[in-house]
Parts: sequence; structure tokens; C-alpha cells
Amino acid sequence: MKEYTYLPEVRQAFRCSVPDAGIRQVFMVDGLLQEPSGMENGWELTPGKDGRGLIMTVRGDHFSSPVQIISVRSEDMPHPVEFTNEWILAPGARMQLIVCDHTIKEFLYRTIRNTVISLGDGAQLDILFMQNEHKESSYKLEVNASLGEEALLDCHIISLYGGTISNTVNAIMEKPGARCNLDGLYLADGTQSIEYNVDVKHLSGNCSSNQLFKGVLDNRARASFRGTILVAKDSQKTEAFQANHNLLLTKEAKITTKPQLEIYADDVKCSHGASIGRLDELGLFYLRSRGISLPEAQTLQQMAFVQDVLGKIKTDTIRERLEKMVESRLRGEFSKCSHCTMHCC
Amino acid sequence: MLKIIDLHARIGEKEILRGINLEINPGEVHAIMGPNGSGKSTLAAVLAGREMFTVTQGKVLYMGQDLLAMAPEERARMGVFLGFQYPVEIPGLSNVNFMKAAVNEHRKYKNLPALSAAEFLKLMREKMAIVGMDTSFGNRGVNVGFSGGEKKRNEIFQMAMLEPTLAFLDETDSGLDVDALRVVAQGVNKLKTKENSFVVITHYQRLLDYIVPDVVHVLYKGQIIKTSGKELALEVEENGYDHLISAL
Repeated sequence: MKEYTYLPEVRQAFRCSVPDAGIRQVFMVDGLLQEPSGMENGWELTPGKDGRGLIMTVRGDHFSSPVQIISVRSEDMPHPVEFTNEWILAPGARMQLIVCDHTIKEFLYRTIRNTVISLGDGAQLDILFMQNEHKESSYKLEVNASLGEEALLDCHIISLYGGTISNTVNAIMEKPGARCNLDGLYLADGTQSIEYNVDVKHLSGNCSSNQLFKGVLDNRARASFRGTILVAKDSQKTEAFQANHNLLLTKEAKITTKPQLEIYADDVKCSHGASIGRLDELGLFYLRSRGISLPEAQTLQQMAFVQDVLGKIKTDTIRERLEKMVESRLRGEFSKCSHCTMHCC
Repeated sequence: MLKIIDLHARIGEKEILRGINLEINPGEVHAIMGPNGSGKSTLAAVLAGREMFTVTQGKVLYMGQDLLAMAPEERARMGVFLGFQYPVEIPGLSNVNFMKAAVNEHRKYKNLPALSAAEFLKLMREKMAIVGMDTSFGNRGVNVGFSGGEKKRNEIFQMAMLEPTLAFLDETDSGLDVDALRVVAQGVNKLKTKENSFVVITHYQRLLDYIVPDVVHVLYKGQIIKTSGKELALEVEENGYDHLISAL
């Protein structure tokens, strides 16, 4: 039996008291699970095969009892830390997860987080990735998900803070009737750089996928979005939609967006759309004509822009917390979660 | 309250206002009529602070202060309101949050504390009742999916929330059916006091049956060509603008 490093100060500092964030908080430090968990609940959390990362297996319905993974980078390691988290849901199992990534200080952390999601027939997973590191960190997330028959995956990624963020989401609709909803919000300023690669493969018929990704870029920030939907030859009755919309606040901010559809079946409903825009001058005047200051009007318009992505988060308390954090981020304030005592993120 | 002296304004190279002179006193209702393209909406937009127009000449005093030197939000906080001819849709921003931000900015300007959530909702319900708006409109995106009539009611509702001293209503009657027109006009009448003034921009005499003006102006090619009492509106309704223009 492995002895787990227990870091009480990390636990204390990052204790999260956002209501409904999770009935259980599980800590990971530099990719090491701090303690196994959940055996008594019908789900199980154990360290990954090589000791790093974790494996969660879920049986039964735990949807109303979310689990929160608080993953913190702590040690000053010059090399990147790479680990794999696996989420395995048995047929019919249901689970909600919130994965919060933080750093303990402003060190140039490099982290590669692989995520494997395997949903059995009829399984449902709602997973929220909250990326809140700092302007020096380098963060890479790769999600590989496979969905069984009638399985449902809701995956939300909120890229709030990070020097360089790269998110890749690959979802494979393996069996008929699978559904996945992928959404993401990226906010970048300064010289931050954010990259999203989304690849949805419809290998079976009667499946549906929805993608909604939005970004707000300020200063000299850079972002790219590449999204692909592939519908295989026999995947009839597929419904697949993709949208990527971007708001550029300065002339220097830059976004490259590349939506792609590859359709080999003939009875499908698919669409993609991408846009790049700026704040609406008439809308700003309308708000100002009601007494709202220009900076406040700009913030309201940006919040309005991101609202539909945040609206995908179903738990009210979590969504409201994220709305506040996004708003303070857009206001250029330190976007700490006030429930966390460390206030470092 | 408002004194406009020889106001000239242009958009790009095109001069739209060519020397407007107008004085409005507290408690007065003015109607501005005029053919399409005469500059009615431009006048309202310039006074509210729309930046796409450039004022090239003249001045505007509001409560003795230089109105044109103020940002749109400062004008609004000092009591100037513009009811838009085409209210702007803002998906993602609810009417409640919009009005909360606006009302609290007004209160901050007056050194009053922000309203509590309960106080705000009570105020909102009260004012929605004035224009017969269902409270469900509070949670909907600003003007998103609203019919023409609902958008105009929303303008009057916002006016009720902000209690302006001087309100410009730019073609608030356009696109309204008779019942909606009556509701909107009644809303305006309920908000009318001895201290506040209204400027109603309209094409039709019909609105003026409900909102009775003290003064009627006819604007043509960026100038006021005639000012008279409410009978001028009836005259325009009957004979059109041609005889006024040919008399120039």
C-alpha cells in the first residue's frame, strides 16, 4: 500500500466552499492523488497506473452528488509534469465532476494533463474544467472521450488564466444514440496564448454533438480554434453543430479560427459557424444613454457575449460563482475565487 | 431647462442640422414633426451624445451647463433620456441586470446607496405595471425577441425607472397598434410632472391626441421652419408639409 503525501497546508489553502461544488473534495498535488476515495459510495478513486494521475470508476447514479478534484501545482520542477486522469463510467452510471487547476505560486509550471473518459452504454458524465493558473504557467489538457450507446457527455472548459493554454478535446461517438455537448470559454489578455483543438468523430448513426466555444481577447493576446466534425459513411441521422465566436477588444489581439466539417454520410444535419467581432458601438451608446459608464458598458457587453457558454453549466451555484469570476477577470481584476482562502489564483 | 442655440451637426461630410434654436422650460411637452430626413432623429441623438455625429457650431445649455461637453452617461445621470426609435437588442444581458446597473449608476451620482435586491424588484414591478409589461420580460435579454410594441414599451419602462427631467421620445409611436399606442402614451402621461419635460418626435397627429403638446415644431432640412401651438399638428395632418415648405 502506497503511503500518500498529505499536505495539510494545500488542503487548507485550497479548500473550496462554493456550495454544491462537490460533496467530496479530492486533492491532487503535482499529479499525485493525495488519498484514495469514495470506495464506500459506489465510485472509486485510485492513483493511476504509474502512480501519477488517477483512475475513477463509477457505478450507479451519483449525478446529484458531484465530486470536485482540486489539482494544484506545488513543487518547483524544471521539467513538465505529465499525468493521466481516467474517468470510467460503467453502463448506466451517472456522475458530475468539477476539475479545478491551480498553482501554489507564480512559478513557471509546465503541466500536461491527459484525460481519458470512457462512457459505457447509457452513462452520463458532466465534467467542468476550471483552468485558473497564472500568467507564467504552461498548461496542456488533452481529453480523449469515447461514448457508448445512448451515452451523454457534457464537457465544459473555462480557461480563465494561464500563460500558455492548449486544450485538445477528442470525442468519439462509438455507438448509436450517443450525445455530446462540448463548450468552452477562453479569456486572454497581455501576451497570453490559448489554443483549442476540438475533434468530434461520429462513427455511429443517430448521434448528436454540439460545440459552442467563445473567446474574449484583449491587449496582444493570441488564440486559435480548430474544430473538426467527422461523420463517417454509415453514420446516418447524425446531428452535429459547431460554433466558435470571438470578441477582439484591441487591434493587436489575434484569433485564428478554422471550423471544419467532413461528412461522408448523406442523411445528416450539420452546421458550423465562426465569427470574429468587436464591441458593438450602438449597443454601447444604448447602455451609456441610460447612465452606465463606458467601462461598465463594455464589461456588460462582454458578459452578455459569454453568457450562453456559462449558461450551459447546470448547477446554479457553480454557474453564479463562475459568472462572478469571469466578470472580475473581464474587469481586469484579480479573478480569485473568494471562497478559497489562498487567494493566489 | 434646455436652450439650443444655432446648433449645427454633421455626419461625415453631410450637414444634417443647420442652425437649430429651441428652448424648453420645465413642465412643457414639445412635439417635433417634419418630413423624413429633416433631422429629427439626429437632433435627439446629438443631444443624447451619439458620437457618430459631429457638432460643428452652436451650443446647448442644459440646466445652465454645457450639455455637449458631457459624455452620454453624464447627460443621462443629469436627467436626459432618449427613447430610441430602434431600441437595441442585447442578447445575454437581461433587462433586470441592465436596469440594475443603470439605476445604481444614477443613485451613485446622487450619492444614494445602491438598492437592495428586494427594493429593486419592487421598483421594477411597479414601473412595469405603468406600461402594462409582464414581469417575465425582466429576465429576458434586452429587447431580444420583443415585438415592435414590446420594444417601445420597454423604452417607456426604462424611462419610468430612471425618472428623467428631460426625455426625448424618438418616434415612440411608430410600429404601434392603437392599443399599444394608448398604453405607451398613458405611461408618458403618468410620468409627467410640473418639473419634467418631454420632446416627442413623431410623424403622426394621432400620438398627440394622447400626449397633448404645449408647443409643436416643424423641422425641415435641419432647421425649425415653424413653431406654434398644438393646432400646428392638426394643420400638418390635414395639409402635409408642402405648404409650410413653399411658404419659405
